[in-house]
Amino acid sequence: MELSTIWVALTKVYLFRIQYPSKMNVSIFGGPMRLPPFQYLEPINVEEALSMIATHKEKIKIVAGGTEVLNHMKLRLIEPAFVMNIGNLPSLDRVDINDTEIVIGANTRLKDIARAPLVNKRFKAISEAASQVASPTITNMATVGGNLLQNTRCMYYDQSGMVLNGLERCHKRGGTVCLAVKGSNRCFSVYQGDMAPALIAFDARCVLEKKGSTRTVPITELFTGTGITPLAIGADELLTKIIIPKPKTLCGSAYRKLRLRGSVDYPLASAAAFVSVTNDRKDTTCRLVIGAAGASPKVIDGPSGEADVEKMVQRAYEQTEGVNNLQLPGAYRRKMVSVLAKRAIAAAMDGIKEGM
Amino acid sequence: MNEMKKIAITLNVNNETHDVVTYPNRTLLEVLRNDLHLTGTKESCGEGVCGSCTVLINGTPVRSCLTLAIAVQGKEITTIEGLSVGEKLHPVQEAFVNHHAIQCGFCSPGMILTAFALLKENPMPTEAEIRYAISGNVCRCTGYAKIVEAIKSVAEEGR
Repeated sequence: MELSTIWVALTKVYLFRIQYPSKMNVSIFGGPMRLPPFQYLEPINVEEALSMIATHKEKIKIVAGGTEVLNHMKLRLIEPAFVMNIGNLPSLDRVDINDTEIVIGANTRLKDIARAPLVNKRFKAISEAASQVASPTITNMATVGGNLLQNTRCMYYDQSGMVLNGLERCHKRGGTVCLAVKGSNRCFSVYQGDMAPALIAFDARCVLEKKGSTRTVPITELFTGTGITPLAIGADELLTKIIIPKPKTLCGSAYRKLRLRGSVDYPLASAAAFVSVTNDRKDTTCRLVIGAAGASPKVIDGPSGEADVEKMVQRAYEQTEGVNNLQLPGAYRRKMVSVLAKRAIAAAMDGIKEGM
Repeated sequence: MNEMKKIAITLNVNNETHDVVTYPNRTLLEVLRNDLHLTGTKESCGEGVCGSCTVLINGTPVRSCLTLAIAVQGKEITTIEGLSVGEKLHPVQEAFVNHHAIQCGFCSPGMILTAFALLKENPMPTEAEIRYAISGNVCRCTGYAKIVEAIKSVAEEGR
């Protein structure tokens, strides 16, 4: 299984390519990958953007930073007829702070979130997550909205057409098999976003606009929990804002992430923790959100006494789908989720002590 | 296959205005190298991992392989060709030469631009800050120690 399957597939496709060079439109042996053709749209404001997506619906792909969508287009995982660039809309690129909440525009670059002084001080998990996304140059481009709305990943899906042509068509590509879990009737692809767990830990909501209506939903409701279609956002909807309520009590938070390199990589396991203490210092509550543990981030709420933390960490371990479809073995990633959960909770508690 | 028409775009590269007629699906990297013949910017992975295609847009380092050329009209684009003045190298470039921070040289344009942007923003970075800033630029000769030394020397000499 695993890597050997991919090598066999690669070899097959390579031989096919030598035989019929004209039949392949993607090349990794024959030169760098190019973007497929599309029509480019650049709205001047949000209203125009909404009417463009209302007209073209599924045929359109929205690009802000471009770091995910352009990659998927190069791999030919998607070939949209239209690409709409919202990256230059200034109204979506701002952070507003009022008494009860912080409102972050969906186009805000992750670098700006990581560096915002208030976020850094009071919303530590969010700044820690933003500064650990990919590499610094990527966070100069990538937006918070794009990071939230990323597709689930799997080593049998995020590959170039050359590799995929040699593999059996899996659930995620409209087929009937799962290459990671043999015999499974569902998709096990993994949501590897960094921002979602941290934002969910703070109970953040997001604003989804479409032509004629607007709805505000908790970020947990952006996810369906299924690998094939992981996002619960309509084709005519645009994510415009993220709203983070300011915690009313003393609190601490942290985000921890496992990856092979200290930069660039997606999380292979991650945990965000938010711990709050009532003003009389009697009750503490904890919210743990684990990432790269399935097709959506998973929330575990509970009190945060010492024994309770053990229980929460155990629940995190049980809820993690440890499947061999990323760079590290599933069983190891599963164990690491509970290790990171423990570390995140401990760091969040230290945060409270510092604030006292 | 979608029908695509060529369009005219205007790019401001190294303080010079260039009019290019190209397809909307061309990345900034492709336009810089193929249309403007500014081949100092390199293509390696093409998927935003390695950093060899780094250019500055309004002073911020970005991946030109994941940037659409059509989307950066009206912005200031700086490539490695824009750092030196005639034959005179920029102090960051000079430091890379003096500290032997170049082996094969493929990562150098990206490394130098990333270092240039870092020093502009933070003229006295610590070693940790330097290492974090260049963590998205891969040097496969693994000459990182010399590169960090070179960047540090520019900071220390306060240039």
